[in-house]
Amino acid sequence: MWKRLLRGGLLVLIASLAALPSFAKPVSTPHVTAELLLDKSHVRPGEEFRLGLHLRMKEGWHTYWKNPGDSGEAIAIDWVLPEGFTAGPIRWPQPHRISLNPLTTYGYEGEVLLLTSMRAPASAAAGSSAAIKANVYWMVCEKVCIPEEVTLDINVPVAGTPSSPGPSATLFERSAASLPVPADGWQIQAANRGDRIILRARPPQGFRIDQPGISFFAATGPLIEYSAPQPVSVADGELTMELTRSPYAQADVRRLSGVLHAPAGWTPGGPVAVEFDAPIVDSAPVAPAASERPPLTLFLALGLAFLGGMVLNLMPCVFPVVSLKILAFMQRSGDEPRRVRLHGLVFAGGVLLAFWLLAGLLLALRAAGQEIGWGFQLQAPPFVAAMAFLLFALALSLAGVMEIGTSLTRIGGAAGREGYGTSALNGMLATVVATPCTAPFMGAALGFALTQSAASALLIFTALGAGMAAPYVALSLWPTLLRFLPRPGNWMVRFKQLMAFPLFATVAWLVWVFGHQTGVDGILRLLLGLTLVGAAAWVWGCWATLDASTRTKATAGSVAAALLVSGFVLSAAAEPVSSAVNAAVQNTSGVQWEPWSEQRVAELRAEGRPVFIDFTAAWCLTCKVNERVAFSSAEVKKIVGDRKVAMLKADWTNRDAAITRALGSFGRSGVPLYVLYEADPQASPRLLPEILSPGILIEAFSKLQ
Amino acid sequence: MKKLYRNIGMAAIALLTAGMLTACAEEAKGRTAADGPVPELGKAAPAFRVTDTYGKTHSLDQYRGKWVVLEWLNHECPYVRKHYGGGAMQALQKKYAGKVVWLSIVSSAPGKQGHHSNEEANELTKEKGAAPSAVLIDETGTVGRAYDARTTPHMFVIDPQGRIVYMGGIDDKNSTRKSDLQTARPHVDIALQEALAGKPISVPTSQPYGCDVKY
Repeated sequence: MWKRLLRGGLLVLIASLAALPSFAKPVSTPHVTAELLLDKSHVRPGEEFRLGLHLRMKEGWHTYWKNPGDSGEAIAIDWVLPEGFTAGPIRWPQPHRISLNPLTTYGYEGEVLLLTSMRAPASAAAGSSAAIKANVYWMVCEKVCIPEEVTLDINVPVAGTPSSPGPSATLFERSAASLPVPADGWQIQAANRGDRIILRARPPQGFRIDQPGISFFAATGPLIEYSAPQPVSVADGELTMELTRSPYAQADVRRLSGVLHAPAGWTPGGPVAVEFDAPIVDSAPVAPAASERPPLTLFLALGLAFLGGMVLNLMPCVFPVVSLKILAFMQRSGDEPRRVRLHGLVFAGGVLLAFWLLAGLLLALRAAGQEIGWGFQLQAPPFVAAMAFLLFALALSLAGVMEIGTSLTRIGGAAGREGYGTSALNGMLATVVATPCTAPFMGAALGFALTQSAASALLIFTALGAGMAAPYVALSLWPTLLRFLPRPGNWMVRFKQLMAFPLFATVAWLVWVFGHQTGVDGILRLLLGLTLVGAAAWVWGCWATLDASTRTKATAGSVAAALLVSGFVLSAAAEPVSSAVNAAVQNTSGVQWEPWSEQRVAELRAEGRPVFIDFTAAWCLTCKVNERVAFSSAEVKKIVGDRKVAMLKADWTNRDAAITRALGSFGRSGVPLYVLYEADPQASPRLLPEILSPGILIEAFSKLQ
Repeated sequence: MKKLYRNIGMAAIALLTAGMLTACAEEAKGRTAADGPVPELGKAAPAFRVTDTYGKTHSLDQYRGKWVVLEWLNHECPYVRKHYGGGAMQALQKKYAGKVVWLSIVSSAPGKQGHHSNEEANELTKEKGAAPSAVLIDETGTVGRAYDARTTPHMFVIDPQGRIVYMGGIDDKNSTRKSDLQTARPHVDIALQEALAGKPISVPTSQPYGCDVKY
């Protein structure tokens, strides 16, 4: 009995002796001091405990998180454990974002305690002490990087008595507090959108998602660009963050895993970071004002494209050309229905072909890495010059400079017949002149088209062309519809001549566009070029008459062609000027504009000012009409001043990759686009309609806080 | 009239095509390193013109028709030392000597780690037994920025048509330990084998890892 007591007492004594502080020795390298720490006074057999790797870095030096980011390397621990002991994975406290332009890494500065949960075996002898060894490797960087490797030891006392917190307990608590916790109760979605990954997170009630500085740390790479900004917007208790996909990410990466960090804590006193692993789905592009605009489906986009195509016919740049087509239909109203139908279909074919060619070129150039969008062709001065030539020549012919006598008789007589080739060319022509006009409904459909596969994009362009051609096809299928128009007669000759003037006006506008692109010297070149076009038309009109000999015609044709070509060469040689210059000279309407830049938007939003962005181009007629109508109004000017709205103009007249990207971020590929940001830096932007009125602007601005 | 329209139409289409082509030609010309485009897999590799350690000028254009490997280099970086210290990088250069143009590019700015005079650089090449086609000195960082080169090493493989077919790390073990060379998947080696055999490249991108480029 005594013996037993004595033995028991002795055991307790030994146990308490053994429960002396765990024994470990720090190891220092030139840049880091490393040490293993135990969270408790001692460990009971079978009990779980934590070992911490404590690293203290020299000032200015840092070590790396499990995903180091753009460069560097994660800290690695290789445990050497006594028999029966087990160790879990490293648990990594929330890292810092360390930016070293142009790279960003995730790491630790100052000090860090990496935690590892371990378990002692039930068979561990009380009174013994477990010698645990760790081979630790890290990359420590300042301006240069140095790999270091040390071996650390710790003796963990094992005792049967209940343990108490060890001397390092506070350090462990602090580290544990910055460990990410699982995002339980959160709804998290990630979706691909072009080169972006849109992360949407809805936390449980009471989480503070409206605080500044929320950011995402990717747990694995390569997936996101670590240096890219992560714009955040909050609406209806949901946080939306835009991540940029890394060019090094492989296409088959289908999961987004990492940590959402809230510097002030997700809840008062709660965790600062939540971790998750969510599948990445493919989605339709969604403008940031997602709550107002449901995502487009292919079907809806096709419908919009068809409608937009129909409306295109009424746009000012197309109407003169299509009115000619209507005239041709009227001339043919007495013709046999089969031929009329065929003409309608051929015309539609021409429209479609032109859309396919344009779409094909657009897609091919985009695939080749060009930052371009719809209307891109008008960003090229030579194309604008070519358009001006074409329309000028058409206008001259309508006005009667060429082949006056024959055209009179032809239009007068209902027997005139156009070839099918002419119908197809007319269709293509109508399409080409339509490109500067973005009709309502078209913007969303085109933006959608360019984010889709080439096949769906072509489908949408097809719908657009079908919409544009639909009225003619309808007219040719049911010629009776033409009865609503006056009977063919001499008025058609006058009408034709009259239609020359909208064309001349369009040429004047193209000259103005060209002037924006190339300056005053460019205008001179283009006008001289147009003079040569006039001369070519005159030569053709005078000598290539119907009764002229083939030789005379050939000579006249070559002289006219030579004049045309030299005119084009003269005009196309004009040098483009930069768009910054343009923005400065464009402050014509009542509102004061300043040039747009991503940085300027960020600055203004940080200041808490509402920002309005006008994405425009000199060649975009819809934009110009909007600017004249909506922004020159005195009330709009007043409310802009009252609400201190910063008015930014993004001028896409010439090619500009930053503007193309910005358009893309709103799911668009062309202008016009009007974006309004509220003063609240967290609020999502609102997209205004493509056709603006002072009323729409006043209503939108008056809703601002 | 009908003929007239057709002729005008034809002339117009011809002019528009000419306009487009002129525009496209200008695009191609205007895309220079200074614009800061991000290199993209399958797209044209950014053009460059830079002199090597012997004062000879190299441009990407002159290697049209050949396979080109670009290797970002900083001999003082521990990651680069892993690959040169174990002889792995030299072995790779020798394995593909004559089959590819191997350009080692030093984008370290003067005064920064890894920057060397031409003589020192040549001495280093000799001392390491390296066998690149040339070591290019890019001390302004122009080429590095055009390629958005992030780390040393950072590797690009460019096909004879001038397109990027591989970009990223030299292998998949982000470490400075030579022992990892044995177990790593040698991305560039495999990419070159596949490319030269006319096969698609199974892993065309990976995380570039190493020291940051000392711009």
